[in-house]
Amino acid sequence: MNAATIHRMSRLLMTAATAAVLCASAAAAQDGPGYSFGDSAGKNEACLTCHGDAQKVKGASLINQTQFAHTTHARIGCPSCHDAVGAGHPDGKPTPRASCQQCHAEVNSEYSLSIHAGKAPCAGCHNPHKVESPREISGMEINQMCGGCHDKFKMSAKHGEWLPQADLHLYMLPCITCHTGAKSYFVSMYIVSTKNETRLGKPEVATYEQLRKVTGGRDILSLIDTNGDNYVSIAELRSFNRSQQHAFLRLQGMMTPETASHKFEILDNRRNCTFCHGSGSSSMQKSVLALPEENGTYRRVAVEQGAALDALYGTPDFYMMGSNKSTVMSIIGLCIICGGLIMPVFHGSLRFLTRKNRIKKEHHS
Amino acid sequence: MSEKKMVYLQPIPIRVWHWTNAIGIITLIVSGAQIRFPEVITVLGSYRTAIWTHNIAGLIVAVFFVFWLVYYQMVRDTLDKIYIPNAEDLMHGILRQLLYYCFWYFVGRPSPFHASPEVKFNPMQKAAYLVVMFIIVPLVVLTGILLMNVTPLRVLILMSGGIKIIDALHFFMACCIFAFLFTHVYLATLGATPLAYFKPMIFGWEEVEEHHEEPHVEEPPTIYRPVRHFPEYPGKTP
Repeated sequence: MNAATIHRMSRLLMTAATAAVLCASAAAAQDGPGYSFGDSAGKNEACLTCHGDAQKVKGASLINQTQFAHTTHARIGCPSCHDAVGAGHPDGKPTPRASCQQCHAEVNSEYSLSIHAGKAPCAGCHNPHKVESPREISGMEINQMCGGCHDKFKMSAKHGEWLPQADLHLYMLPCITCHTGAKSYFVSMYIVSTKNETRLGKPEVATYEQLRKVTGGRDILSLIDTNGDNYVSIAELRSFNRSQQHAFLRLQGMMTPETASHKFEILDNRRNCTFCHGSGSSSMQKSVLALPEENGTYRRVAVEQGAALDALYGTPDFYMMGSNKSTVMSIIGLCIICGGLIMPVFHGSLRFLTRKNRIKKEHHS
Repeated sequence: MSEKKMVYLQPIPIRVWHWTNAIGIITLIVSGAQIRFPEVITVLGSYRTAIWTHNIAGLIVAVFFVFWLVYYQMVRDTLDKIYIPNAEDLMHGILRQLLYYCFWYFVGRPSPFHASPEVKFNPMQKAAYLVVMFIIVPLVVLTGILLMNVTPLRVLILMSGGIKIIDALHFFMACCIFAFLFTHVYLATLGATPLAYFKPMIFGWEEVEEHHEEPHVEEPPTIYRPVRHFPEYPGKTP
């Protein structure tokens, strides 16, 4: 068999294979909605008929359709992970599940090097039917994930061995800010509402429904972005903080890494407090406003550079030592201290000039 | 005619309190300055060290403040006599002492006030210490305790007007103590010698001048007869 014959035969085989694939695709298309990557409409709907209905399924099998709809997993469709579900489903047989690392190989290799590896599977932190990127989640929710395994009081005690006011730090910071390395950070500002809308109530992240009620059905952003340019200035944040119409709503901020890695580690450089506690700390300059969405995620709105500390300082229960200090207060403090020098300086000078008077008197006596 | 006499003015508990307080307050000023201006002041090294130092020094000063209060009020029962100006102090004493510091001192007149264990402070000192020890120090201690426990005492902080009010009060009161420190140390040098007022706070004893006037003996009236009373025999005189 010469080379030309081999070439001709290989071309014939390739053509036959291509034709077979095309025929199979056509046959599949005739069966109904496609299960291919990127097509979620048809098959998801079929699955969610039962799995989105609390009357039909319970527990982990029940999927919140609103939360699931916007996820990448919804876009690729249920069969991408749960392939070969039998025609007799539900027949009591276990549902086939894809392994996360089939798609997320890079994350998996990073995670396998972390201190969490072997201790918690992906689903230990992430609900695959509610997966959200760090952009779509508030810092408090990130900590709720960690709190699933790490007991709050034990963590507070453990951190308290070296960290002053550990409970406050654990409440005000996402764990990943200190336990994952990132090149840059930003302050995610979000709105909290005091419990029962009282002045002394415990602040909790305001929900979409709560804020929608306050705005009277208008876009939530209009609470702060009064000129509607989809950009939040320092002036607008100040005006929000001073408004008495919704005094129970306050701004809170969490320093969050720009990119969240899965390499959970103990970073010794985070023990340097001036990373945050210092005037004009670079990590505190960039900020965004995170507003809740109807589907349970958060959208980010750009905020003027350097606004975070100024805006948060305007709220009654935020003060960060070393970073938030009023210049006016510092000047008044300096004047008070200088006031204490008036007596020693003036009296001391006169005392020195009149020293002879006292020496004379001593001699007389 | 005057003679020099040693008076035991400062008992050991007060001297211990005073010097612990002095070291504590200087530590608090230095560490507090680093906490507020970490980009400028780095005397204590890391920020964390400054926080721990400030917290520990603050607790020591707070505990010793209670000790001072208990000692003077409950053990000696002299808190009000020593620290609270009486009517005479308010009407004349403060003005007299002010005139002394502003004028008479420069012409070489002696101080109108002489310390004794019962009346340690001149009227001006009393007024100043009253403000410092009964307003400024308690305020700085209370606000400091609130700032050390932001999460557990969150409701108390909010009831007091918010954390920024507490911080502002703590900062301004601390500045007042710092300012008072200059005046306090300077006035302590105004004794007969510059160290005369420091010595009693170290050794307990102060050298005071006692003025004796020649006793003017009046001739008893001729009809006067000294009568000795014996209370155990009422109504009977020898």
